[in-house]
Order: sequence, then C-alpha cells, then structure tokens
Amino acid sequence: MMDDHGAGRESAPPLVVLEKITKRFPGVVANEAVDLELRAGEVHALIGENGAGKSTLMQVLYGIYPPDEGRILMGGNEVRVTSPRVAITHGIGMVHQHFVLVDTFSVTENVILGEEGGRILDVGAGHEEVANLARRYGFTVRPSAVVEDLSVGEQQRVEILKALYRGAELLILDEPTAVLTPGESKELFENLRLLREAGKSIVFISHKLDEVLEIADRITVLRRGRVVGETTPARSSKAKLAEMMVGRPVLFRLDKPEVEPGEPVLRVEHLLGEGKLNGISLEVRAGEIVGIAGVDGNGQSELSEALIGLRQPTAGSILLDGDELAGRPVQDIRNAGVAYIPQDRHEQGLVLDMSLWENVVLGRHDDPAFSGAFGVLFIKKIRDLAERLIRKFDVRARSIAVKAGTLSGGNQQKLILARELETDPKLLIAAQPTRGLDVGAIEFVWRQILEQKAAGRAVLLISAELDEIYALSDRILTMYEGRITGEYAPDAAPEDVGVGMVGGAIVEEAS
Amino acid sequence: MSDTGDVIAARPSVGQRLENSIGPLLSLLVALAIALVAGGAIIIGYGESPAVVYGAILDFALTGDGPGYVLAIATPLIFSALAVAICFKAGMFNIGVEGQYLVAMVTATWAALNLGFLPGPAHVAVILLFAMIGGMIWAAVPGVLKVTTGAHEVVITIMMNGIAISFVNWAVNNPLKFTEAAAGTNVDLRSDRFPDTALIGDLGGLFGYRSAAKMSWLLILAIVVALIVWLLMKRLRLGYEARAVGSAPGSARAGGVSIGAVQIKLFLISGALAGFVGMQQLLADKGYLPGNYLAQLGFTGIAVAFLGQNNAIGIIFAAVLWGVLSRGESALQIRTDVPREFVIILQGILILAVVIVYQIAKRRLARRQLQRAGAEERALEAAAAVAAGTAATVSEPDNGTSDEANA
Repeated sequence: MMDDHGAGRESAPPLVVLEKITKRFPGVVANEAVDLELRAGEVHALIGENGAGKSTLMQVLYGIYPPDEGRILMGGNEVRVTSPRVAITHGIGMVHQHFVLVDTFSVTENVILGEEGGRILDVGAGHEEVANLARRYGFTVRPSAVVEDLSVGEQQRVEILKALYRGAELLILDEPTAVLTPGESKELFENLRLLREAGKSIVFISHKLDEVLEIADRITVLRRGRVVGETTPARSSKAKLAEMMVGRPVLFRLDKPEVEPGEPVLRVEHLLGEGKLNGISLEVRAGEIVGIAGVDGNGQSELSEALIGLRQPTAGSILLDGDELAGRPVQDIRNAGVAYIPQDRHEQGLVLDMSLWENVVLGRHDDPAFSGAFGVLFIKKIRDLAERLIRKFDVRARSIAVKAGTLSGGNQQKLILARELETDPKLLIAAQPTRGLDVGAIEFVWRQILEQKAAGRAVLLISAELDEIYALSDRILTMYEGRITGEYAPDAAPEDVGVGMVGGAIVEEAS
Repeated sequence: MSDTGDVIAARPSVGQRLENSIGPLLSLLVALAIALVAGGAIIIGYGESPAVVYGAILDFALTGDGPGYVLAIATPLIFSALAVAICFKAGMFNIGVEGQYLVAMVTATWAALNLGFLPGPAHVAVILLFAMIGGMIWAAVPGVLKVTTGAHEVVITIMMNGIAISFVNWAVNNPLKFTEAAAGTNVDLRSDRFPDTALIGDLGGLFGYRSAAKMSWLLILAIVVALIVWLLMKRLRLGYEARAVGSAPGSARAGGVSIGAVQIKLFLISGALAGFVGMQQLLADKGYLPGNYLAQLGFTGIAVAFLGQNNAIGIIFAAVLWGVLSRGESALQIRTDVPREFVIILQGILILAVVIVYQIAKRRLARRQLQRAGAEERALEAAAAVAAGTAATVSEPDNGTSDEANA
C-alpha cells in the first residue's frame, strides 16, 4: 500500500499512515476517506478553511474520536488509538490551541505531571531532565519558572516539552501560531527545525499560508472533509494553496480605491492612560485608511478601547469632527458616529448565547427605531433588519434565530461588520479585523474596509499582520510601547516599517 | 462518491424547535425519575414500599383539598424563585431574597396596621407596595455596593440576611409588638392582628378547597408577575441588556450597555419581587407578623429557580412540583413510617439530579446545534459556489484527488 503512494519520493517509510479515514457527526461528514502519510523528520502542514476537517482528523489520530471507517497504521501495523493515553503510548503527542497547564505549577511540575513515578516527588531530578530536554531542542525555558509568569509563547513550549517528555515521535500542533507574536513564531519555527533534524514527525495545522510555505516539507490541503491535494512548498505558492483551500481564486492584493482624503475626522492628541498609552497623537482623515502596525501588546488594544470609550484615558483628547470624546460613555461615542470592530469578537463583539437578530441590534437597541416607550423592543423591526443585513453581508446561516456561537469565525465577523457598518459611521475602528479568519473571509473583510474608504469614511486599522497593513493602508503608523514610533508611506519597505515596530525611530510628535 | 455527498439537507425546523423547547422539560423529567428511583431505595431501606409512599404523596397532593395546599405552598416560592432568577440572568447571585422578604414583611405589617382607614382593595394594594419598597431598600444596598465598589453581592447579601433577621426580631419586640388585651399571656410574640381590609381573599373556595388550605388570590398575582418577568426578559430593552450582561459582559459594554445601571435596576426589581414572598404568610395565612419567623423561603427560592432553569414559566411548574413534595411531608407522617425529612432528602436528590442531567443535556444539545450549523453553513457555502458559477473550479481538484486515490 505504501509503495505506490510514496513512489519516486523519499525512501523513508512513513511513520504513520491514515488510510481512508471517514468520520461523521450527526448531519455532518467531517472527514471523508482521508488518506495521509506522516514521515519521520518532516514537517507536514495540514491546511484548509475553518471546518474543513483538519482538527477532526487529528483528533481521530490522537484518539479523541474513533473513526467510523478507515484505519491507522504505524510501522505497517494497524493500531487502534482509542484514547489520548493510547496515542501517547504510541508516541503521538498533541499541542492544542488552548493550553492545558496548571498555572500555579512550575514548568517541571507541569511537564512531569502524571508521569512522576514512585511516591516521592523528586522535583530536582525533574528539573534536570526537563533542562536537558529543553537544551536538546533549543527551547529557552527555565524549568523552575511558574507557568502563570510565562508568556504565551513560553507556555506553548512547555506544552511541546510535555509531549516530548512522554516520548512523542509525532507531534501534532493545532494552529500553534494563532496565539503567537511574529517574534515568537520565528522562535517556534527554530524549535521545529531542530525537532525535524532530530527525526521527529510534525503535523502543523494552520491557515496562515506564508508560514506553511516557510516551515513545511509537504502540504496536504483539506476542503469540506476531503483531501483536495498534496503538494510541497517548492511546487506551490500562496495563491495556489488558497485556491485549493477555498475552491476559487483568492486575491491577496485588492485594488485600493482612489479617494482624495478630506478633512480630518479623528484627531487624537497626547493620549495618556493606564496600561500602554504613553502619549499617542494621530490623525485620520475622511476617505483615508490609517494602519497602525505593531507587535501585539504594545498598546494597540488600549488605544482602540480608549477610542470607543471602554477605557478612560487619564489625559489627552480624542476629537471626532472637533467634538471631544475622551471620557464619554460608549453609547455617546457610538451615537457620535464611531463604529468598532473589536480585536476579540467573543469578548467585545458578540453575545454568543444570543440569536443573530439579537446580536445585530446590540449597540443600537435604544435607537427609537428599535425600542420605544417602557423599553419595549420592536422585535419585528429588529428581525427585518437582521434578515436584510444577513443577506447584504452574506452571513451564511440557516436563520436569524440561530445562536451567534454556532457560526464559524468568518461568519461571526461578517455579522459584526454588518452591525457596525450599517450605522453609517464617520469613523471605523478596525482592530485585528481578520484575526483567526481563513483566506476567503479575509478577502471579504478587506473589501468591506476598502468600501468604507471609498464611501468617504475614516478608517483606523490596527493590525499585527503587516500584510494586512500594506494591503489596506494609505498611511502606516508604527506603534511600540504605547507610542507612535514612525509614519510611513504605503510603499515604504517592510524592513523600514519593521524598525518602527520595535521602537527604532522615535519621531517627534507632530500635531 | 457523488459530489453532493457533503451537502446535507437541513432537517425540518419544526423538529428542531420542538427539541429546543422540550429539551429542558425532558431533562427535568429524567432528573425527577432518577430522584424517585434513588428515593425508592431509601424507602425500601425503611422497610416501606416505594409505591405506597409515592402513592401517598401523590394522593395528598392531588385529591381532595390537596391541590389547594400545594398551590398555597407554591405561591411564595414563585415570587422567591423569580427574584433569584432575574438577578441570575444578569450574572448575579442574589442570596439575599431571604433578608429582603423579611424586611418587606416588616414594612408591610406597618402599612397593614396603620393604614386601615383605606378601603379594602386599596389597603391591600398599598400593603403590597410597602412590601415592594421594603424589599427594594434591602436589595439596593448590595446592588449599589456591587456597582460602586465591586464588593461581591453574595457576601453582602449573606450579611444583610443576618441583619434582616435581627431587624424583624427588633420590630416585633418594639414598634410592632402586639397591644391587644386579648392577646394575653399564652401567645407567641407577634404583631397585632391586621384589620380585615388588609387580608387577601381566599381563592381555593372557587375550586371547592376548604379555606384551611390558604390558597389565595396571591397565586394569580404570582402567575401574572411571572408572565411580566418573562416579557421583561424577552421583549424589553432591560431584559435584553440583562441577558447580554449576564452572558457576555465585555460585548455588552462594547455595545454601549451600562453594566452598573443594569445591575442596580435588576437588583431593585429582584428586591421588589422578594417583597411579595412573605405576603402569603402575612395576608393570606396568619393575618399578623409572627416573631421568630424562619421559613427560609428565600433559600428555597434558589432551589426552585434552579429547577425551573431560571425561566419564568419553568419556575411556576418547579414551584408546584416543590409544593407537591412539601405537601408530601404530611402524607408521610399520617400514612407511613418513613420520617417526614425524607421529603427534604428527595428534594436534595432532585436538585443534584437536575444539575447532572441538565448539564449533560445542555452539552449534547449545544454540540448538536454546532454541528448542524456547521453542516448548514457548508451546504449554503456550496450552494453559493454553484450559484456563482464557480462549479468548474470546485470540481477540478476533486477529480485530481480521486484519480490519485484510485491509483
């Protein structure tokens, strides 16, 4: 069976073969006759849109779900992986998107948890073992550090160490870079390369195509539960992969509409506040998209929250068409014409437990069009609005009565866009508007943002993805440690913008 | 494999709707069955037959004046559970219904004793108003402290409960202490008897239950209030904001909802509802304020709210169920050798069973909804792709793989 598949390619026999795996859930075929070969010493990227079946397939391999059909072969013999514990004994380790660590334990304690052996806990020896393991694969992590003090990237390394400590030969990483800063991703890739050299097999689940092309040896593309192709970075490109994933060509560069910027709509002056607002000044004009580039955690979320009124600045001013917004409640700021796409659509965007129509009116529910005397909600009108918006913004859902939490990330984001853009805002604050979305949805969101510009609205785009900043912005500002550290034209070299992102060139504040 | 293999037709929405609404009821019934089986084991341990014991409980609840007694027990529990539930919807735990209704009984007693010049129905209305105000005052303290200082409502309300008990004791010993000569020596500490204008009429008589059952018009008020609470939650801005605050406070705040204002309003409404809790006792049963009154209706309300899954209509049924079991205490005493405390055990098991069954059902339901939504999304996606005329590009790579697979 392996001869015809691996013909003409590498001679190393596959470590694990998934053969015709089919997994059905009530009403859904998550995987249909999926074949996959994983070899020692390679990084195998598994890509596809949200819901394409990547995670389900790996959960079958890791023993979380039994397959309905098909089998798993290791070293040519069929194995039954009935639980994660069995998977671990077969040398299969998985790092989930959401870490499962004990926050108050040290790195070592987390790594050896469940594998301590004996009655007396020898943490000292554990430290030694963990340090050795970390050194071998180039992990910079202190064994005695307490997990809650670690950064997300470091916590992820602890998770990988946990799997390695248990003897993993095959490591499944479920969207490992989704939670990392670009710097942390680079470090992860270094670790992965060392693991590959050491002969480990790595499954890298992602929908960030640049990363896949950078790290993967082979790439398998899933669409709607089926394998639609297998390729290598050398034989492929970002555009080809995207087309395979989505089933149609995807544009990574959209034409920016030509708009002559008008009067300044937003003027932020010397904004100071708790967290990371260390004197920010900026200006956004009508018909202009200003992109704020920066590594996550440099005050971007504080800035967007201050602008919409979720956070009170201690000093400075926020002027919208000359009116002071600083210190006013959210509702006032929204009513003044500010729309907000939050960086975390679950924390600050949607009420997942509520229906689509209830979510569509959030923020406008006290508009006289939607509620009247004694606070009676005009349900019919709200539902009509929801029906219209869902069609207009192409939110894919059976009905407006389903809960927002049942939608995919892309459709949730469309729902937020629908709600925020329908109000005809003067200013749109878009914070990480495509985080966690797949390529098809990203293109949609980008188009919508460009349309706002074309309609003469001011857009402040905050993104940690430099690609996104370049694709949309008319002016680029860099942010570092709560300050604006540089201003660049949209055709500036990425290297120059990168300097600003690490605080290189602090410019004098110009008002 | 045909191309349509992954496009699954949506199930009829009627079935789904039925599933969504029947699900909670079904899980309550399953929980009840579990509790009855576990209780049956205990009954056997006492050397009695479960059939006889449960038969006696049902007989007492359903025949003769039984329903009158059951509904009289249920009436204050509906108010109490609604008071708990309305806070719970906004993510707050009002443990203070106990204290709120005790204070309300004092303010209502004052109105009953001192405003007797009002004509009958008006007097009752004013007493109820005083009760609401008493409950609101007591609820305002934790509400305002929570919003302004961040102090946790559970801690504050527990403390306020202790103060309320002392307050009732003080009131019944001092300003409200009985003055009637007839009260004499052998009478428990209490207030004077209320004038007739203060009393709420018997309702059970209309159904042929004797007046000793104490089923009153307050039951109608309880049902009306439950419907109003249901409307408030589903149809009014405040209820909408409350649900948003309870479920996703960050999103509610970003949507312009003032969380503090919503929380204070709900605490006040909760207090007003709590005010009604003691009225069955005061205006329909005793006709005076008793001393050392410790019915713990506020705490029972938490259990009933839970059984009713914090749904206003569900609470009515849960309160009646609770009433059936409580009424069963008398059945056990009269008809069996099982101690009356068995009912409390049964109620406890019921709550535990509901916790477990409801959680399991909820998870399964949520998962099914999620999967179904995923399937529908994909089906819609596929349909859109076909409609957009991109069917050709869709099928191309598919053919590629099937060739590969056949090789």
